[in-house]
Amino acid sequence: MRDVAVVSFAQSPCLPANRGDDMAEILLPVLREGLAAAGLGRDDVDFFASGSHDFFEGRTFSYIESLDAVGAWPPISESHVEMDAAWAFAEAWAWLQLGEGDVALVYGIGRGSLPADLDQIMPAQLDPYLLAPLRPHRDALAGLQAAALVDAGLTSERHLAEVVARCLAAATANPAAQKSGRPSVAELLAAPYVATPLRAHDVSPVGDAAAVVVLAAGQTARRLADRPAWVRGVDHRMDTHYPGARDLACSGSAHLAAARAAELAGFTAAEADVAELHTEYSHQEPLLVTALGLGKAEINPSGGPLAGRPATATGLVRIGEAARRIMAGSAERALAHATNGPALQHNLVCLLASEPA
Amino acid sequence: MSLPEAVTTMASPLRMEYTYVAGAGRSVFLRGLAERRMLARRCPGCEQVYLPSPEFCSRCLLPVGAPFELDGRGTVSTFCVVNFPFPGQVYEPPYVVAQIRIDGADTRLMHLVRETPPERVRIGMPVEPVWVGDDELDTSMTSIRYYRPCDYRTGADA
Repeated sequence: MRDVAVVSFAQSPCLPANRGDDMAEILLPVLREGLAAAGLGRDDVDFFASGSHDFFEGRTFSYIESLDAVGAWPPISESHVEMDAAWAFAEAWAWLQLGEGDVALVYGIGRGSLPADLDQIMPAQLDPYLLAPLRPHRDALAGLQAAALVDAGLTSERHLAEVVARCLAAATANPAAQKSGRPSVAELLAAPYVATPLRAHDVSPVGDAAAVVVLAAGQTARRLADRPAWVRGVDHRMDTHYPGARDLACSGSAHLAAARAAELAGFTAAEADVAELHTEYSHQEPLLVTALGLGKAEINPSGGPLAGRPATATGLVRIGEAARRIMAGSAERALAHATNGPALQHNLVCLLASEPA
Repeated sequence: MSLPEAVTTMASPLRMEYTYVAGAGRSVFLRGLAERRMLARRCPGCEQVYLPSPEFCSRCLLPVGAPFELDGRGTVSTFCVVNFPFPGQVYEPPYVVAQIRIDGADTRLMHLVRETPPERVRIGMPVEPVWVGDDELDTSMTSIRYYRPCDYRTGADA
């Protein structure tokens, strides 16, 4: 395995709705910041990988617009995934492992505000014959998953409120957060339900933002960052598409991804100081803590997605936030998790450390 | 034992509504169209003139310059004749879709070429925009109804 590290991370503030900027205009300042932090020009980048989804944009090949901020002429080596940009990160990491180059830039754009009504959009990711015609609203499957967890005694409504209170308080220190505050658990428990046992604050607030992560290999990484965040292991696994075929109260795919990433990394999730989890709903935190086998880790010190979910940039932000803590010297080992699909269907785990293998 | 008759159709209508965010750059162009103006912008780095223009040059990544107006005439760069019908079609085939190089711009605009039989259209043909009436003007390409041949000569680079 080649030593590969995150050498810089930048993100735009997560806004409830950015009506002023097109994709390129959202991305360009973030891209500049990410490159400048590593002392790089765009000509130094060997490979660009990005993630976004047309279902959030309402047009085909929407990501092409973002290439106006990359500078795709003369032609560059470039790839895109139609999913969370954490998977673009996985592709860039694999590309560097192949030895094709030394520097890769990963970006994610998520614009959750463009659909007029996410209840129209989210059923499109479900089985088109047996589930989509039922038109479950955007939070319906998450409600089923949360209810299954509460029923199994794996969490409680009070615990969910505690998760939300902790995340929103942590987000007060995160300038990119869309939402933050210091509500009491009692205040949160007094709010009405949106999909029992979930209340509005248990659902991450969707918004618009871009994120950039720069990866570099070996000596290049050492030159570009004082304290690179070495990517020690990456893996992703997927559960079956039909939610009725899954036990929603646990996540076999997250568990397997963590186990395989730990094999690559030489350390496990239990040894991470920090974990950034792609929790689109509060109940997914206790579920993932168990599935991933987290131990002492501080969870979502950025506030996590419960403080802002910029659609398909959300998972990449988790990797960036985890790496940032290693680069800043406040963590030695970190875990980042990303997800796609309903009720944690597809899970990615990335283990990072202050030392290469 | 025979199998039951297979289900071959199922109605499951999808309706999805979106907000389009044109951005700062394209908004300049679209607002110009609503006033029958073709607003282009030049990159200060590579001199490329964009129509429509993004806010940043996609080659140099520099902010492009102030908008300036072009008269909208141009020449056909390439074209094709649409011969087949499809749902939602506005014009009856055959009709011409062309890439048009607007005088003064380095990028090409896509539009229809009408008021001439398709067999008369050729690459290099000078064309001019036909704008819609005041009541139909909008921040949209539909403010130009179509292009048609015209009688003027462009510069040496036509």
